[in-house]
Amino acid sequence: MMNIALIGNPNTGKTSLFNNLTGSYEYVGNWSGVTVEKKVGIFKNGKDQLIDLPGVYTLNPLSKDEGVVTNFFLNEPFEKLLNILDASQLRRNLHLTLQLLEYGAPVIIGLNMLDVAKNRGIQIDIAKLSESLGVNVAPVVARSGKGCDELAELVTAGAVGTGKNNLVYYGKAIEAGILELENKLAGKIKHPVRWLALQLFEGNPYVKNYLETILPIEEIEKLINSVTVDQQQNADSKQALDQVIHRKRSEAIDKIVSAATTKQENKKVPLTEKVDMVVTNKFLGIPIFLVLMYVMFMLTFDWLGFPLSDALDSFLSGPLTSGITAALAAAGASTFIKDLILDGIVAGVGGVLVFVPQIFILFFFISLLEDSGYMARVALVMDRLMESVGLNGKAFIPMMIGFGCNVPGIMAARTIETPKERLMTILLTPLMSCSARLPVYALFVGAFFVEQKAAVVLSLYVLGVVIALILAKVFSKTLLKGETSVFVIELPPYRLPQARALWRSTWDKGKGFVKKAGTFIFAGSVLIWLLAYAGPEGVNVSMDDSYLALLGGIFAPLFAPIGFGTWQASASLFTGFLAKEAIISTMNIIYFVPDEASLQGLLAAHYTPLAAYSFMAFILLYIPCLATVATIYKETGSRRWTAFSIAYALVIAYVLSLVIYQGGRLLGLT
Amino acid sequence: MLGKLKTGEKGRIMNIASADKFVRRRLLDLGIAEGSEVCVKCILPFGGPVMVESCGQCIGIRRKEALRIEVERV
Amino acid sequence: MIANILIGGAIFGYAGWAFYRFIKKSKEGKCAACSIQSSCSSNCSVSQEKKIK
Ligand SMILES: Nc1nc2c(ncn2[C@@H]2O[C@H](COP(=O)(O)OP(=O)(O)OP(=O)(O)O)[C@@H](O)[C@H]2O)c(=O)[nH]1
Ligand SMILES: [Mg+2]
Repeated sequence: MMNIALIGNPNTGKTSLFNNLTGSYEYVGNWSGVTVEKKVGIFKNGKDQLIDLPGVYTLNPLSKDEGVVTNFFLNEPFEKLLNILDASQLRRNLHLTLQLLEYGAPVIIGLNMLDVAKNRGIQIDIAKLSESLGVNVAPVVARSGKGCDELAELVTAGAVGTGKNNLVYYGKAIEAGILELENKLAGKIKHPVRWLALQLFEGNPYVKNYLETILPIEEIEKLINSVTVDQQQNADSKQALDQVIHRKRSEAIDKIVSAATTKQENKKVPLTEKVDMVVTNKFLGIPIFLVLMYVMFMLTFDWLGFPLSDALDSFLSGPLTSGITAALAAAGASTFIKDLILDGIVAGVGGVLVFVPQIFILFFFISLLEDSGYMARVALVMDRLMESVGLNGKAFIPMMIGFGCNVPGIMAARTIETPKERLMTILLTPLMSCSARLPVYALFVGAFFVEQKAAVVLSLYVLGVVIALILAKVFSKTLLKGETSVFVIELPPYRLPQARALWRSTWDKGKGFVKKAGTFIFAGSVLIWLLAYAGPEGVNVSMDDSYLALLGGIFAPLFAPIGFGTWQASASLFTGFLAKEAIISTMNIIYFVPDEASLQGLLAAHYTPLAAYSFMAFILLYIPCLATVATIYKETGSRRWTAFSIAYALVIAYVLSLVIYQGGRLLGLT
Repeated sequence: MLGKLKTGEKGRIMNIASADKFVRRRLLDLGIAEGSEVCVKCILPFGGPVMVESCGQCIGIRRKEALRIEVERV
Repeated sequence: MIANILIGGAIFGYAGWAFYRFIKKSKEGKCAACSIQSSCSSNCSVSQEKKIK
């Protein structure tokens, strides 16, 4: 078995290729920094392992996701490297390739995005490129799968050359420095010294750390200093070492590229620039974004999603329920079993499943956003606003991903370079309304705000973002002071999403929701039903005397000032910590109704519209779900920040709902 | 200064030494160094970022960083 | 009667197992309704990174 690592610049199609070669489905999107951790897959031959890594421009990391790659190089075993190049950006991509060749592991190059290069009038002589680098170069189009089989064969078959590791001459001073380090390290390490030395001179902190475990710090510092001084004397310039190294590489690359490519000018303005003129327009940028969001919610909650959910609801409460009833009667089931299944499981699980169409529509739009290239534009458009609260535009990407699920949103914060902004993004992403909160809104807007469904839901999403921005301002003024914020973002060309990829991505997100309904929501429904069925006085008690009512009743008075002091409301809030959808199944079981429509009728008796809005706002903010909390802990590595993320959310949710409910009442709303 | 160019204008980068070191590193990573030719694609309002193109690659940077990058009009 | 015990046992057994699994997965920061769900099983490199810092 071999370990083969996929490595290349961000957004060059590594994960697309990974999916093609291993037949799995990993997260693909058209912006830089989609993959933020190492992913392992098995080749279709069933033997070798392919390892997908985050995209990096060089092996000297700036952000956490890039650090994953450097770490991998230093600490983990691999036999071969599969370097993916973007054929339309060859110069920039080759900087990384040169570093890989310096490393001296067996390398194969996959030349991707040949279709894009061709459209830009770039012709690449593959044989020449291969010859000047000394490694195999295979053309592929990862998106369509063209050339993937050949590449797989090439990679998994026997031995592969390591290429030329001395393509660049870095000048006397640096070369002498490399030799000196070689003498010092002789025989002590397994990594190639030339590579280590160059990374050290470039200022790679991971490599420096690694070397410090072998050599005394002073010796390393001294070496770097003497090389810097020599270099500056020799060249008679003040350039830092990393700039010199970069320039030398650029010169070598220029030679390679000009020999291997020909470019015809085509004067046509690319479509992507025309689109950009509109979506990043001075005045239209943010309005366009909001309109797009509004249309998305109209489709999800009104035009398309609502009728679909309704149809599903009538199927579940009609034919399915009667079918189950008949089957249970035929099997001779007792009333206990019948109640358990119909009032517990069908009500609880069905209550969540009803919203599957709406969830899928939302995921479809999120996938569209991710795949088209609009994501990075949104970050650009939002940067001014984010800057004023101490964040940068890039932080908006994790937040947008958080609209689907907070967990990957928090992971995506790894691409943010400065630790302070990254921490803030991690803390604030849970305020983004994830898809699991959507059923709650759908239920309540259906009951109370029939006329303005989409507008009310949009207001909640915007509320989440606005609160996040306000808190960012507060945090950056109090808890997390200092550090300047930086913002440089790569804007990929727009790509027309393919139907198949779009469907895969939507399905991959949506199936988790369905699966969760079949597992956790199922189990939760059974538990909730039992708690509602039994009480201190025995079983089959009236619901108001059940354990559930008892439990909810303890906390109910706390929620009275914010409009929903019933035991039902507080009981469902409890389950919401485990998973937000559970709120809906709990309500379905508690209110004990056959279908969504009658639940909405019943809710009208327990809530006023104002209380309903207050409840939705509370659900939006009150606590990150268990999985999110665990991810926050994993990503921050700090118990204190994790506890803080829960505590501040509770406080903010309570205060905001109080303002909404009491303020609304003062204004004479009901 | 790059930040002074208007939409559609082109320039060649003369000096990026005074830009923030993070920004400089990223620009280098993206293949923008002294000598590269850039073209301003659009400028966002209220002092927002600028979008520039170089070798078919678009990037966004903040106006205040762009103002620290010396360019020569071409 | 036997049918009752069978159905009841199956439901409670499955529910208990599903509950246990869910809590275990959630605690690791895996989310069943999210886009990285299937890939979460791979060993993340986070624990390693902590060593470096
Ligand atoms: N036109 C074209 N597009 C491609 C090709 N390969 C991948 N793409 C698209 O490029 C984008 C990026 O693909 P990913 O596979 O996510 O790229 P990645 O290298 O994994 O990106 P990071 O994880 O961010 O480093 C997606 O929108 C793909 O659909 C190709 O050969 N041609
Ligand atoms: Mg990727």
